[in-house]
Amino acid sequence: MELLGNAVLGLGVALSVQNLFYCFLGALLGTIVGVIPGLGVLAAISMLFPLTFSLEPTTALIMLAGIWYGTTYGGSTASILLNLPGTPANAVTCLDGFPMAQQGRGGVALFMTTVASFFGATFGILLLMLFTPVIAEYALRFGSAEYFALMLMGLVAASTISSGSALKALAMVVLGILFGLVGMDTQSATVRFSFGILGLLEGISLIALAMGIFGVAEIIMSVRRVRTADIDPETLKLKAIKPTRDDVRRSWFPMLRGSSIGSFFGTLPGTGPSIAAFLSYAIEKRLSRTPERFGNGAIEGIMGPESANNAADQTAFIPTLSLGVPGSATMALMLGVLMIHGVAPGPNLITSQPELFWGLIMSFWVGNIILLILNIPLIGLWVRMLTIPYHILYPSVLMFICIGAYSSGFSALNIWMVFFFGVLGYLMRLLQFPGAPLLLGFVLGPLMEEHFRRAMVLSRGDFMTFFERPISAVIMALTGLILLWGIWTSERGRRVETETKPADAEEAGGS
Amino acid sequence: MKTLLTAAAIALGLASPMLAEDYPSGPVTIVVPYSPSGNTDVLARHLAPYLEAKWGQSVVIDNRPGGGSMVGTAIVSQAAPDGLTLLATTSAYVTAPAIQKDLPFDPRADLIPITNVGHVSYILVTGENGPDTLADFIESSKAEPKFAATAGLGTTTHFAIEQFIADSGADVDVVHFKGGGPAVVSILSGETDIYGSSVSSAGENLKSGKVKALAVLGNERIEVLPDVPSTKELGFDGLEIKQWVGMFAPKGTDPAIIDKINADVNEALANPEFIATVTPLDWTLDNTSPVEFAQQVDVELTKWADLAVKQGIGQ
Repeated sequence: MELLGNAVLGLGVALSVQNLFYCFLGALLGTIVGVIPGLGVLAAISMLFPLTFSLEPTTALIMLAGIWYGTTYGGSTASILLNLPGTPANAVTCLDGFPMAQQGRGGVALFMTTVASFFGATFGILLLMLFTPVIAEYALRFGSAEYFALMLMGLVAASTISSGSALKALAMVVLGILFGLVGMDTQSATVRFSFGILGLLEGISLIALAMGIFGVAEIIMSVRRVRTADIDPETLKLKAIKPTRDDVRRSWFPMLRGSSIGSFFGTLPGTGPSIAAFLSYAIEKRLSRTPERFGNGAIEGIMGPESANNAADQTAFIPTLSLGVPGSATMALMLGVLMIHGVAPGPNLITSQPELFWGLIMSFWVGNIILLILNIPLIGLWVRMLTIPYHILYPSVLMFICIGAYSSGFSALNIWMVFFFGVLGYLMRLLQFPGAPLLLGFVLGPLMEEHFRRAMVLSRGDFMTFFERPISAVIMALTGLILLWGIWTSERGRRVETETKPADAEEAGGS
Repeated sequence: MKTLLTAAAIALGLASPMLAEDYPSGPVTIVVPYSPSGNTDVLARHLAPYLEAKWGQSVVIDNRPGGGSMVGTAIVSQAAPDGLTLLATTSAYVTAPAIQKDLPFDPRADLIPITNVGHVSYILVTGENGPDTLADFIESSKAEPKFAATAGLGTTTHFAIEQFIADSGADVDVVHFKGGGPAVVSILSGETDIYGSSVSSAGENLKSGKVKALAVLGNERIEVLPDVPSTKELGFDGLEIKQWVGMFAPKGTDPAIIDKINADVNEALANPEFIATVTPLDWTLDNTSPVEFAQQVDVELTKWADLAVKQGIGQ
């Protein structure tokens, strides 16, 4: 009953004319920032940050939060239509979204990812409303050993997300980890692979890497390949977004699993929507009775990750608001907004500032409904984007990638990095090395190392810490099981393969 | 030809030094070597309108993050010494040189300290199950070694803890986290036992008792926590450690211009409206002369370099 009262209180705040306007503005801006490859949410929010000095803290937060979750909604658009992820969290959506678009099902994919996003977000907000204090408490049980075990499980579970050669995929994971090593080591201040460039002390920019490997490489590949996408005009009509009954049937469980995975990772400071999306994809592929459909336009491959990253976006507010601990740089910005206005987030925020807390949470509902209403009519427009000749579309995308990479660190070095990774990505395409495992290695590797090193200091060098702490031990056991299962299924696959040799096993490669 | 003309223009520009009375003759850029919305950025952005009003010129904040603030600092060290490009940076200016050996500038020679804008005091905190006093903490660490969290290697929070360890003889191992947030989490979860935190970073957790303040690092108590003793009261003299933000100009800038900027910034710092805006953000505003600030920078550079050698940091 108390919850209902709080919800009403929050709705009252969220539905005031001013807050509604800023919520809409945030959602709209977020969608645009998400659709444009390269422009990241952190850059967008930090550029708008000074504007919030003059706003009420609740209003300011509502707007910035709108940008934050709006980006993830919009981010899948370019992944699906152009094979260019709008944000790193949508990179995995390329794997099956783009093949769907090539099969003329781009409209369906866009519609279904909007549904998945809404589903994931709703799931996340429900958790946020019902269990914030409980979840914050349990998130504290995750120490460095647990994080390391979790990252290891993520890497093991997700290392086979791409189809094609497992050896090549593994090589790419390792390369990604190596790229993640660049910069200053967190425990000893040793500088690694910076080649005397000061800008590399903080490592390689995630945006530059993702945009180079996925975006620029895709653009180079398109040279001399196509003039405009040969799409059937029928697929541009609004009715072409209607999913088949089979699509809907296949989507339920991936959305549920994706939302749970996303909600879990969202609450853990330091992880986030990218990792959640990767893992959701890996799990869907493993659970599927027909894993060979993945990479060729399997709808499960977009529904899981897109609900996961949106759920993670929402639950990321749990540690931020209830512990006063930001899970990511973007969340740190949101905390900054509160502090500028003299509000200290922490365990008492919910009771000391109920209007702010519940107003913000109810604005998430409002914002997600706005996004749903905003995104479905836009699908027609986005799909039409494909009719723009590539010689006009791609140079503009390239420009946005450069702007985005620059603004992610305010440094021209990032643009050189985009160039470097673009060339690397192109070579990888030519040699059929998949990009997704590289991105995964890059995201997880440094986190794994950081937590491993810290766990080692905290256990005074005892490796058993990973097996003695109960949560860590359970995760380690699960990791072992996943590994065994992987070996078993690939052995079984090989036996089947020798019996009925498929002609084009390598053909399934690509991104 | 074009190059020649440009060269001539630059030479002429150098030949006629700018007069302090005319300062500033154009828009002033304040380089902040951190991302927008960080503490330093916010302080600079709040300060800029006061300087604009005083100078009648626009004051632009230029964020040049990277290399733990060293990228932006290096840029200003190479800027034209006309007072139109300034640096607003933190005490990373004095701590980073202690662990980064090959910086592209000399912190003593290439930049001129103008004024210390303000500082944030640090408090030593422990978790809710931790000891109640600093003396108890030191005592219990000798029975069972403790862990200290930092917001990153080479940050002021790191040097503060190292200085505390060196001065108190407590048996503490240092664990580095990425930023103040994760460090506070590790205190909350009991993974680590002590952390040198700013008041706002400990935030509500302090009020609710999930985090306990053991001492204020410094010579005096602070207003917001009147019951927490200072480290000097507890018998530690050398623990006056603060995170500060100061302004610098490239070497070769006319001392008269430095004095003028110093006076104008200090005037803004005394403005009650400005004080009211930034006090909730933990800032205590200072009023230093260029000479005082230069001495402070010099003393701290030596202090941290010595400490890094003594404690074996970044070796």
